[in-house]
Amino acid sequence: MGRLRKDQFHLLLIKTHSLTGLIPVGAFLVFHLAANSLRTVGVWQYKLSIDLINNLPFLIWIEIIFIYIPILFHSLVGVYLSFQGKLNVHRYNYGRNWMYTLQRLSGGVIFAFLVYHMGTTVVPKLLAGKEQFEAAPFLISVMNQEFQTLGGRVIYMVGIMAATFHFANGLWGFCMSWGILVGAAAQRNASLIFILFGLVLTVIGFATVVEFSMNPIEVQATVPESF
Amino acid sequence: MEDKTVIIKIRQQDDPDSASYWQSFQVPCRHHENVISCLQEIQRNPVTLDGQAVIPVTWDCNCLEEVCGSCTMLINGRVRQACTALVEHLEHPVVLEPMSKFPVIRDLQVDRTRMFENLKKVHAWIDIDGTHDIGEGPVMSDSIRAQRYALSECMSCGCCLEACPQFTRDNTFLGAATFSQVRLFNLHPTGALAKEERLEAVMGEGGITDCGNAQVCVEVCPKNIPLTESIAEIGRQTSLKMIRDLFQK
Amino acid sequence: MPQRRVRAIIIGGGLAGLSAAMKLCERQAEVQIVSFQFLKRSHSVCAQGGINAAIDAKNEGDSPENHFFDTIKGGDFLAHQPLVRDMCFQAPAIIHLLDRIGVPFNRTGEGRLEFRRFGGTLYSRTAFAGATTGQQLVYALDEQVRRHEQNGQVTRFEWHEFLGLVIDPQGICRGAVIQDLRNNKIFTLKGDAVVLATGGPGQVYARSTNSTVNTGAAATQAYLQGARYANGEFIQIHPTAIPGQDKLRLMSESARGEGGRIWVPRTPGDKREPRDIPENERNYFLEEKYPLYGNLVPRDVASREIHDIVFNRNLGVGGEPMVFLDLTHKSREFLEDRLGGIIDIYRKFTGQDPKEVPMRIFPAVHYSMGGLWTDYKDDGHGLIDHGSPRNQATSIPGLYAAGEVDYQYHGANRLGANSLLSCIYTGLMMSRAVINFSKNLGERFEDISSTVFDDAERYWTTRMDSLRRMDGKENPYQLHQDMGSLMLANVLIVRDNKALEKAYYGIQEIEERFKDIKCVDTTHWSNPTPSFINQLYCMIQLSKIITRGALMRDECRGAHFKPDFDLKQPSDFDPYEYLDYLEQKHQGEDVPEYAYPAGHLDYMKRFEENNRKWLKTTIANYQDGEPRISYEEVDTSVVVPRPRKYD
Repeated sequence: MGRLRKDQFHLLLIKTHSLTGLIPVGAFLVFHLAANSLRTVGVWQYKLSIDLINNLPFLIWIEIIFIYIPILFHSLVGVYLSFQGKLNVHRYNYGRNWMYTLQRLSGGVIFAFLVYHMGTTVVPKLLAGKEQFEAAPFLISVMNQEFQTLGGRVIYMVGIMAATFHFANGLWGFCMSWGILVGAAAQRNASLIFILFGLVLTVIGFATVVEFSMNPIEVQATVPESF
Repeated sequence: MEDKTVIIKIRQQDDPDSASYWQSFQVPCRHHENVISCLQEIQRNPVTLDGQAVIPVTWDCNCLEEVCGSCTMLINGRVRQACTALVEHLEHPVVLEPMSKFPVIRDLQVDRTRMFENLKKVHAWIDIDGTHDIGEGPVMSDSIRAQRYALSECMSCGCCLEACPQFTRDNTFLGAATFSQVRLFNLHPTGALAKEERLEAVMGEGGITDCGNAQVCVEVCPKNIPLTESIAEIGRQTSLKMIRDLFQK
Repeated sequence: MPQRRVRAIIIGGGLAGLSAAMKLCERQAEVQIVSFQFLKRSHSVCAQGGINAAIDAKNEGDSPENHFFDTIKGGDFLAHQPLVRDMCFQAPAIIHLLDRIGVPFNRTGEGRLEFRRFGGTLYSRTAFAGATTGQQLVYALDEQVRRHEQNGQVTRFEWHEFLGLVIDPQGICRGAVIQDLRNNKIFTLKGDAVVLATGGPGQVYARSTNSTVNTGAAATQAYLQGARYANGEFIQIHPTAIPGQDKLRLMSESARGEGGRIWVPRTPGDKREPRDIPENERNYFLEEKYPLYGNLVPRDVASREIHDIVFNRNLGVGGEPMVFLDLTHKSREFLEDRLGGIIDIYRKFTGQDPKEVPMRIFPAVHYSMGGLWTDYKDDGHGLIDHGSPRNQATSIPGLYAAGEVDYQYHGANRLGANSLLSCIYTGLMMSRAVINFSKNLGERFEDISSTVFDDAERYWTTRMDSLRRMDGKENPYQLHQDMGSLMLANVLIVRDNKALEKAYYGIQEIEERFKDIKCVDTTHWSNPTPSFINQLYCMIQLSKIITRGALMRDECRGAHFKPDFDLKQPSDFDPYEYLDYLEQKHQGEDVPEYAYPAGHLDYMKRFEENNRKWLKTTIANYQDGEPRISYEEVDTSVVVPRPRKYD
């Protein structure tokens, strides 16, 4: 019985890891990149999105339950999983083995990026307390700063790339481990679709970075004068 | 074709607990000669490249035509059978090492008992009432037969495990060969009667969830077994079982 | 008190050993099975084409009786008929059993067993799993044995080697001395019966289709300890194998069963690419000479014809000892599905694709029809009394033999796809014999003084130690090579007494050189060399049995072909003339010369006389270091031996 429990726990752990990668973490990634890409559409649309989100009721709980805990869980289990294997792409130089290797490496990159990203955005926001300021001007000023230096741009581009790759490739892995893809041809076709999907996400992310880098926004009150 | 010679560099080890060391040999090499012939040549004339008489290298082999799975080793860093490794197609010098994911017995011999223990864990057989004459077997379409045949060619050589980044000496990962056998037996009408038991056996630690989808297994399988399809198929069967168990039990 | 379980020790984990283990477990015995390596790696995996059973799935009018006759005729009437007949009658049940345990046999549109043609028969009676049938059968049986292992009935001694038998002062076999191939420790296994299922002796020849473990050492050891060895000289040369340095890889008869054609260019030394040689410049010599059986004549016939076309008529491909085996007229899909396994082997070892280019093949040593002498008891109606403890018993009580290591089923030449059958049949059939023998034993192994076992263990410890200490000049592996080449040169397809005598002296020289061996590995861990020296000793003894038997048998029968003693069958001879002749003789009538075409009566008299003299089993007994040969009657109670003819 003890053995069975351990096995059931293991199964639950891995399956949850797989699931959280898709929902909510992956879904949040898509939402986050999409929302931010409003920046390329226009400044006020972008600001509006920030304010809309930041004025959600129970935001902090939503963030903790649907974003922070799942990401932390996904990361920790991911680290545990990474240590189960031993990379060997130098010996067995195959495409999928590269993907396997990059999936693990990108996981590490994302984790480091998230520590940085949250350190510059979420943490000060929490420290400052919500009532003290409007979210949009604060976050926009942070972003302005981030994208002023080349280093900052590179950090964000690497972070975005790691995340989109990890998600797109993870989706493929999800389809494999849940048995959605079985045939070899189906596996190949799906990986093409997921590559395309990953590219689209990357482009969306990069577009935002480029927009920020080229046109820093003037920091001002969010609600337009005309309201 | 002219007789040439070839240099063979071998990682040797006297017993499971001692350290490994390298020795090189120069052996004559004829047209279409394989690595086993070179090893046999060393047996007949165990003298190293620098002229020292030594104890011959030990290795495992049997059928010499890639159906028994014995002579699996690392040849120029890559896992494969020594019998089908034709020397004229290899980069020189030829470097031989024992498989790294299994305990070394001596020189190129390793202990692959783990593979066979895994077969026991996953109920890799069909339960029959007896061997007496109780008539024909189940009717089965030839396409199912063809699928089963492809899986049933697995000779437990261990290439897929050696090349798998998830399979290490310290973990309990079952590996592609084992998952493929689960699929093989679940495909048989009588074998399917023990399907649940087999699936349960691959749903724990070291089971199907631990596959990282690096898919090297299918690249190195000498029998071209569709291992990644088996993995995905077992992924499907276990996922469905999990959902069934969740909502039915 | 629970009933005492019979304990059987099985040496060898190929088809015979596995099926014996499976059946014995089912009969509640406790089984210990000994093998050089994982059972799954046994030589039976090399069997390719299929397994025979006259199920008549294609409505060709086949029957077990036909299967029996083909087998007996294929073996030139040297096999005991009730045994062969029983095997053929059991065959359909065996196939169904194999199907039930999951062997992926190819299937028909209706989802039933598919059959193909094989040599020496006109019926489609060979069930097959692609072109790796042996492998598939081994795996399925290995899985069943694993099932019983899980129940605790089977103990596997994988990575162990059989060294010798433990024989008590009454001459009853009580167990086996085995050596752990990892730590090189020697110990005894005690049991009610020992089953040798150790396969054939292909390694006696320098190159063969056999695996490296097929030294025949276990059977020879039994012979050295008093068991009789029978029909040793009948070594099957398979007509089609891929020439190679270390091994001649088998190219299954199924290639011809599925339509493969053998040919050579009509012009000697024709250097053109095979596909550039037009049809009318090709010599399909088997089809031309044997219009009825064509490429599917029995193996002895095909091998002799290939030998003849290459060496006597100098028509070998490009002047080399090779002929074409052509499959290129078949569709790629068909070949992949039916023959994928052997096509892969050919491609991997030669770099050429048989779907595109005809294969180049040549005959190779393949199988030993002879082996340990075993007994049987017929039921008086041309079948076997399955309850008798005599079935498959060797001349040492308590020692049984099954599979290629016994001698009874194939006479002077084995038909393709009959070996898998005989292995599984004997393995299954003998289990009752073993149980009944064990239950009737007066003294059990538990009652035997431990000194019997200790002495055997001590003998082998000393023996292996002395082999390890051998410090002469001969490398044992080189000596093996020399012996094998000698056998290959002199005891093969075409035999003559001068060469055989030369070979016998040669073997005695090898035996002399053996004394000067240097054991090149003196370590005590996973050391294969002392074992190999011991096996080499056995192989030397075995090659003497083969050569002496061949030397003494002055006739042509099946695989044993001595042109000097060819009976010169008239080309227009009909075997039924011979039956007619016997009938007339039997009725006491005078058989007039003019009743038959010219020369036929003379031939029939020669044939009759030859059978009177030579239709006998060769028995070798070990005596004073040499095989002493005697002869024993063959049971021909079902069909009358008659001249063979395949055209």
